[in-house]
Amino acid sequence: MGKENSAEKALNLIRGRLCDPTSVFRPLSGSSDSNFSKLKFIVSTSITEGCNNSILLLGPRGSGKAAVLDLVVGDLMEEYPDSVTLIRLNGLLHSEDNCAFKEIARQLCMEHHLLFSKMASFDENSQFIIAMLRECGLAHKTIIFVLDEFDMFAQASDLLLYSLLDAMQSVTSQAVVVGISSRLDADQLLEKRVRSRFSHRKILFLPPSREEIDSLLEHLLSLPADSSFPSGYVSQFNEKIKNITSDTRFKDMLKTFLNANSTVNSLLKFIFRAVSSMNLESGLLSLENFKTALSSMQRQPKLEAVRDCSILELYVLVCMRRLEVKEQSSYNFISVMKEYKTIHDSFQTSDYYAQNVCLRAFEHLREREVICYAENRGQSQAVEYRPMKLLISASELHQGMRSHACCPAILLKLLDH
Amino acid sequence: MPTIAGPSLSPHKRIVAARSENTGCPRSAEDITPRKRKLRSDSAAAVPTPIKWKSPRRCALMAEVEEEPNGMLETQFDCLDGKSKWNPRDDDQMKAVKEALHVSTAPSTVVCREDEQRRALEFVKGCMEQNKAGSLYICGCPGTGKSLLMFVYEFFQEGLPCLETVSVNCMSLTKTTDIFSKVLGENETGKKAIGSSTPLEQLQILFSQKQQSSSSKMMLIIADEMDYLITRDRRVLHELFMLTTLPLSRCILIGVANAIDLADRFLPKLKSLNCKPLVVTFRAYSMQQIVRILQERLVELPYVAFQPKALELCARKVSAASGDMRKVLSVCRSALEILETEVKGSTDEEPQIPVPEDQMVKMDHMVAALAKTFKSPVVDTIQSLPQHQQIIVCSAAKAFRGSKKDRTTAELNNLYMEICKSSMITPAGITEFTNMCTVLNDQGILKLSQARNDKLKRVSLRVDEADITFALKEIRFFRNCLL
Repeated sequence: MGKENSAEKALNLIRGRLCDPTSVFRPLSGSSDSNFSKLKFIVSTSITEGCNNSILLLGPRGSGKAAVLDLVVGDLMEEYPDSVTLIRLNGLLHSEDNCAFKEIARQLCMEHHLLFSKMASFDENSQFIIAMLRECGLAHKTIIFVLDEFDMFAQASDLLLYSLLDAMQSVTSQAVVVGISSRLDADQLLEKRVRSRFSHRKILFLPPSREEIDSLLEHLLSLPADSSFPSGYVSQFNEKIKNITSDTRFKDMLKTFLNANSTVNSLLKFIFRAVSSMNLESGLLSLENFKTALSSMQRQPKLEAVRDCSILELYVLVCMRRLEVKEQSSYNFISVMKEYKTIHDSFQTSDYYAQNVCLRAFEHLREREVICYAENRGQSQAVEYRPMKLLISASELHQGMRSHACCPAILLKLLDH
Repeated sequence: MPTIAGPSLSPHKRIVAARSENTGCPRSAEDITPRKRKLRSDSAAAVPTPIKWKSPRRCALMAEVEEEPNGMLETQFDCLDGKSKWNPRDDDQMKAVKEALHVSTAPSTVVCREDEQRRALEFVKGCMEQNKAGSLYICGCPGTGKSLLMFVYEFFQEGLPCLETVSVNCMSLTKTTDIFSKVLGENETGKKAIGSSTPLEQLQILFSQKQQSSSSKMMLIIADEMDYLITRDRRVLHELFMLTTLPLSRCILIGVANAIDLADRFLPKLKSLNCKPLVVTFRAYSMQQIVRILQERLVELPYVAFQPKALELCARKVSAASGDMRKVLSVCRSALEILETEVKGSTDEEPQIPVPEDQMVKMDHMVAALAKTFKSPVVDTIQSLPQHQQIIVCSAAKAFRGSKKDRTTAELNNLYMEICKSSMITPAGITEFTNMCTVLNDQGILKLSQARNDKLKRVSLRVDEADITFALKEIRFFRNCLL
C-alpha cells in the first residue's frame, strides 16, 4: 500500500516537472554562455540604461525559445517590479495592421488600468500607442514587445513593424522588440526599410549537447532526498535511474531517438511516455519503459497495417506489386485476379480462393487505406473495373511481410522476382 | 507616427582644437550624484540653448572646418592621445559610450551631408526669395541620413519664422488622399470649409485665388516615405506635385523616398509641364565618411573607447555591404557589449586585480561583432541538425544539382533511402520522413508545396548548395556523399 502511494506520488512529481517549462529550462540555462544569459543581458541593459533594442530568437520548433523568454521576463519582473510592461502578439492572429494595433492598445489599457473602447478607430489606436510609448519613456518604464511567429509579421504588411521600430529610433521611447521565429531567414523577409531599422541581433537556439542532455535527464528523473518519500525508496529510485542512464543499451536508444528529432520538446515527450508506463508495483523505472516509449513514438502505421493482414490480403498486395514491376501503369481488380491465377498455376500454391472472397479481401485493404482508387472519377463503374494503386512502397511491403507472424515463404520469393 | 524627437543633450559642440578643455564627466554638471540609470526627465528638463540652432552661416563655418578629409582624421588621432583612459567597468562611462552610439541619439550637426544640405537650403531659400512654389525630391537607400536631414531642417526653419511646416509620414495615412486633409488641417486660413468639396479641391482653390491677407506665409510640406502614396492610377502623387504648379501656389514640397527614379517613372507629366522636381540623391556612405561620422559621435567623450583600426574595419565592411549607417552603429554597440561581457566576466573571478592598461574595443571584438551581424545562422543550424535531417538535406543538395529544381517527396525519399543503405543506417519510415521534411520547411531550409497526398508534395531547396557543403565538410561521410 505504502509503496504504491509513494510510487504514485513520485510519478506525479516527475510528470509535473516534465510539463513545467521553467523546471526544464532552468538547469539548461545555468551557464553564462547560454542563450538565457545572453537574452537576459540584452534585455536588462535596455531596461537599466533606457535604450531601445531589437532582437530575434531563431530555432526549430520546440527548442524552447518562448520558454526561455518567459524565464527571462519572469526574472526581470521580479528584479524591476514596476518598470516592465509586457505586450504579446502572435503572427497567426495579429498579422493584420488593424488587429495588431487594436490588440496592442487593449493590452496597454489592461496593464495600466485604463478603459479600452472597442470602437476606437485605427488612427485613434495608433495615436494612443505613440502617446503611451512617450509616457512610459518619460516614466522610465520599458515596454517589451514579444512578436511570436515573427516571419508572419514580416511577410504581412509592414506598417506594424515599421511603426514599432521607427518609434524606437526616437529618444523618448523605451522599448524592446523581441521576435520569435522558426525560420532562419526571418530577417531576410523584412522589407528593406524595416530591415535597416532592425538591429541584427540574433540568438540561435541549437539542440542541446550530449552532456547537457545527460545532466538534464538526471535532474528531471531524480527524486529529491528531503521530500515526504521514504528515504529507502528515494535512494533505490535514484540508484536505478543511474544504472539505466549509464547502460549502453539506453545510450543507443537515446542516440537512435535523437538522430531523428533532437529538440528539447521531443525529448520531454519521450521521457513522459517512458515515465507514464512505470510499473506502479515496483515503483521503479526500468529499461523496458524506455523501449516501449521509443517504439510508440517511432510508429510506422503502414507497416503495422501490413503486419495485420491476412494471407489472402498479402497475396493481393504481392500481385499488385508484381503488376507494378511489370510496368503496367494502371491495373484493376480483374488484372490482379489474372495475376493471382498465373501464380497459382505456376507455383501450385494451396491458397486459392474464389473471386468473391478475394473481392472482400480487396475491400478490406481499401478500407484500411493500404490501397486506394487511382482516380476519383468513374464512380459509376463497378469496383472490379476501377483502376487501383498501392499506397505503400515496396520496401514497406517487404519489411511488413518479413515481420508478419505467418507469411508463407513463397510470397517473399514472389516479391523478389 | 512619431516625428523624430529633440537631440540628446550632449554638451555644446566644440570645434576640434578646443578639445583640451574637456574634463572628466561627460554629462552636464548637474549630474553630480552618481546614478545607476540616467533618468529621462534630466534630458527633458534642460532646455536647449539658442546656440543649438544651426544658422546657415554657422553650418558653413563648421563645414569648412570639417572639409579636409584625411587631414582631419590625423588631427583627431592626435587629440586622442590627450584623452584619459577609459574604464569599461564603470557603468556610467559605458553607458555614455553606448548612448553616444545609439541610433536615436541625433548629432547636433549633420556630418558628411553638407553638400546635400547646402543644395536643399539653397533651393528653399530660392523659392522663398522669389515667392514661388517648387518641389524637391530626396532619394537614397535606407540609413543614409535623409530623415536626419529633415530633422535638422525642423530646427532650421525655427530660425525662419516665415515658413509653415507640415511634416507627414505617408506610411501612417490610412488612405492616400488623407495627405491633403493633413496639409489643409495645418493651414487654417479662416475661410469656412465648404462641406461638399474634398480637401484636394479646397487646396486647389486656395492656391488659385489671391489671398486677402498679404502677409501669408509660405508652406513647407515634407512627405516622408513618399512611395506609399503611389496608387495604381498615381493620382494622389500627381495632384500633390501639381499643387506646386498652380498659379498662386505658395507651397514648397519636399518628398523623401528610396527609389531614385520615382519622379521619372511615376510623374512623367510633370516633365512636359516643365516643373520636374529637383532631385537630391543621398548616396550610400563610403568608408571615410562612416569613420568621420563615428568619430564625430565619439569626439565629445573624454576617453578613448575604440581603437581606430577597429572603427576602420567596421566602416570598411559595412560600406562594402550596404553603406547603411544604422548597421554601423548596431555593430559598434554589439562590439561594446562583447567587451562588456568580457570585462564583467573577469571581474567575477578576481576583483582584486587592477584594471589592465588600455582596455578598449579592439580588433578582435569588432571582428566578433561583425561575424555575429553578417553571419547567417544557416550553417550553424545545419551543423546541429539531427543525423537523419542532415541526410535529407544532403540528398536534397544532390538532387537539385542539375537543372531540375524541384521534386516530389517520394523521389526525395528514394534518394534518402539510397544514401542510408549505402552507409548501413536504418532509414526512417515514410511518415517520419515527411515529418522531418515539414520541420525543415518550418526552418526555411526546404520549401514544401501544398498537395493533398503527402507523397506528391513538391520539394525545393531554399538554401545555397555551397552553404550545405561548407556546413557538412567536417563530416567525412557527407563529404563523400556530396562529391
